[in-house]
Amino acid sequence: MGFKRPQGTVGMQKQFSPLTMRLPVLLAALVAVATCTKTFVGHQVLRIIPQSDEELQKVQELQDLEHLQLDFWLAPRKLGLPVDIRVPFPSLQAVKAHLEATGVSYSIMIEDVQALLDEEQREMLRSSRQLPLDTTTFNYDAYHTIDEIYNFMDMLVAENPNLVSKLEIGRSTENRPLYVLKFSTGGTNRPAVWIDTGIHSREWVTQASGVWFARKIVQDHANNEGVASILETMDIFLEIVTNPDGYAYTHTTDRMWRKTRSRHSGAICVGVDPNRNWDAGFGDAGASSYSCSETYHGPYPNSEPEVKSIVDFVKSHGNIKAFISIHSYSQLLLYPYGYTETPAPNAQELHEISAKAVAALSSLYGTQYEYGSIITTIYRASGSTVDWTYNQGIKYSFTFELRDTGRYGFLLPARQIVPTAEETWLALKVIMEHARDNIY
Amino acid sequence: MPGLRSSPPALLLLFLLAVPRGSRAGQALEPGSRSAAAAARVALQYRNCQAGSLGGLRALGQVRKATLKNIPESGHKYYLQFSTEDYRTGEDAGNCLATVLYPKKKSRPVVSIKCSHTKDQKEIQEEDNRFYQRIRHQSKPITANNIPDSYGNIEPALEPVWALAVAGSSSIMWEKSTETLGYFLAQVKSVRQWIRKDDFLEFDYTVLLHEMPTQEIISCHMRLTWLPGRPLKVKHFCASEGHGAEEGSGAESGSAAAPSAEKGASF
Repeated sequence: MGFKRPQGTVGMQKQFSPLTMRLPVLLAALVAVATCTKTFVGHQVLRIIPQSDEELQKVQELQDLEHLQLDFWLAPRKLGLPVDIRVPFPSLQAVKAHLEATGVSYSIMIEDVQALLDEEQREMLRSSRQLPLDTTTFNYDAYHTIDEIYNFMDMLVAENPNLVSKLEIGRSTENRPLYVLKFSTGGTNRPAVWIDTGIHSREWVTQASGVWFARKIVQDHANNEGVASILETMDIFLEIVTNPDGYAYTHTTDRMWRKTRSRHSGAICVGVDPNRNWDAGFGDAGASSYSCSETYHGPYPNSEPEVKSIVDFVKSHGNIKAFISIHSYSQLLLYPYGYTETPAPNAQELHEISAKAVAALSSLYGTQYEYGSIITTIYRASGSTVDWTYNQGIKYSFTFELRDTGRYGFLLPARQIVPTAEETWLALKVIMEHARDNIY
Repeated sequence: MPGLRSSPPALLLLFLLAVPRGSRAGQALEPGSRSAAAAARVALQYRNCQAGSLGGLRALGQVRKATLKNIPESGHKYYLQFSTEDYRTGEDAGNCLATVLYPKKKSRPVVSIKCSHTKDQKEIQEEDNRFYQRIRHQSKPITANNIPDSYGNIEPALEPVWALAVAGSSSIMWEKSTETLGYFLAQVKSVRQWIRKDDFLEFDYTVLLHEMPTQEIISCHMRLTWLPGRPLKVKHFCASEGHGAEEGSGAESGSAAAPSAEKGASF
């Protein structure tokens, strides 16, 4: 590192490269060293521009003084070209004295090399995946960890305190907080829309879309377009990481994990399918009573805190008018019921809304969706989320299955996150607008 | 048939003749129906492994027409017309006519399928040769894990290996499919190449299959050999236990024998 060149080396820079351009590269090299062994506290970088052959020779002589441990960032070449020297703290006095005594003028380019390195390190950490500075620099084209998403939520709230607040509705089995973002322009207990993503942890495009939705709501409100009109009379609740224990597990251990991470006495295996744990046809055909199954319904309804917390929230809120639970994959828009073939009382209306929502979704990138009731369109499923919410009186209860149809399945390439979120948002707006225009 | 470019009248006529008419004809299905799509998928899985081609791999586009007929003593037979896409690029790859019979007795579906194509045979052969050369010219035996990775990425260098896995696992998925159980390739967990003295490529794979509607992840081991222009040779063994089998907190109570993932759950 640095610019120690053997005596008499040719290979001088043909072109003058400004210190400012070289600085990050050199600093990076120093950082690499700094983090291992050395410290550069008190080191300074001096710049000398030799104006005469004598001055040039004096500077060149410095190169021979090994004991000074000088590090030439720009070696002496010819008159008028700068020479940059990193001088270790112990040698500073001696070098400056020598230059002054021989009448060679110099300037201090860097007062304290270590201080600059520390600043550089902070900047590098910030610009890496660890901590984006704000929701504008957040990378929506990538999948994120729980910590990154929770950090995003805090930033969103901090940037929009009059619109967004964060509620903790409970704790997961492994004691992770269950956070819901509330978007509201005021009022008291306004009619509301609920959206959840990530209830099945391996369905990564859904949590990623949830993050995008959160920012989209804020943007629409700021620009007074899109859902801004919905926010005039309704609140939006958004739970992005509905199954945080499962999500953490997909990052650390098993990318294909679907369920919660609960351990119930008498159960051989870990985890309950949170989309079979609701009190609607609980335990009927369409779920498994075997704990090792991916569709294990659990020992009793709402045994999972991830489910119970939403149940409690919905009941105590009492004014939710539309409820949308988001999954992947298959490209489907579904409405109740899954546990019975009996059509939902307003199945006709739900079917019409679905047709409109799917048309809106398709209009953006041509993505094809099928739609219908859960039982006729995908399969019989008991104890599912929207069957319960529907039976609570939430007329507009829907489930989405996002991209794709099996080519990548759960492992949807990150480049498809934003297009998926964008098209899904159009469908969500249709549902929200219908709820707003058909208040009950 | 040479020079087949799109669904010609002759094929359509064959299809119309094949589709039974009248009240005993069998019921027309909604093109969007799950079972029609599932049957079409099975037909393509069959074709993808039979064709022994990587450049010719196809995914399901849209089902255009579907009919279901009950063949007494035999099983349920689907008559299908659907569009397809190139598996890698998603581009339109032509249309297919297929029949899929799910036998009453537990055995693999019986498939007949005929497709038009947008790429001609020469193009596909050249692609296969390119895939083949890309693998052959590696300096050491290929080993890799997690294709695609958690983020959906497939390293360009590993694309041919992944395409081979799609072709090979298609044979597993076709064989395992029933009228109620369907499969998707979720991930290639690991791959290891065996260098041979002859020109054939040989690989050991562990693949994860996503089973629907049970949602189970089935781990299968697959050994395959391939030479462009030759059918794929595939030997496989799938674990019967779901991938989530790990210790909980005690002995299972309530349900009887643990159902193996090979059988459908209560759907």
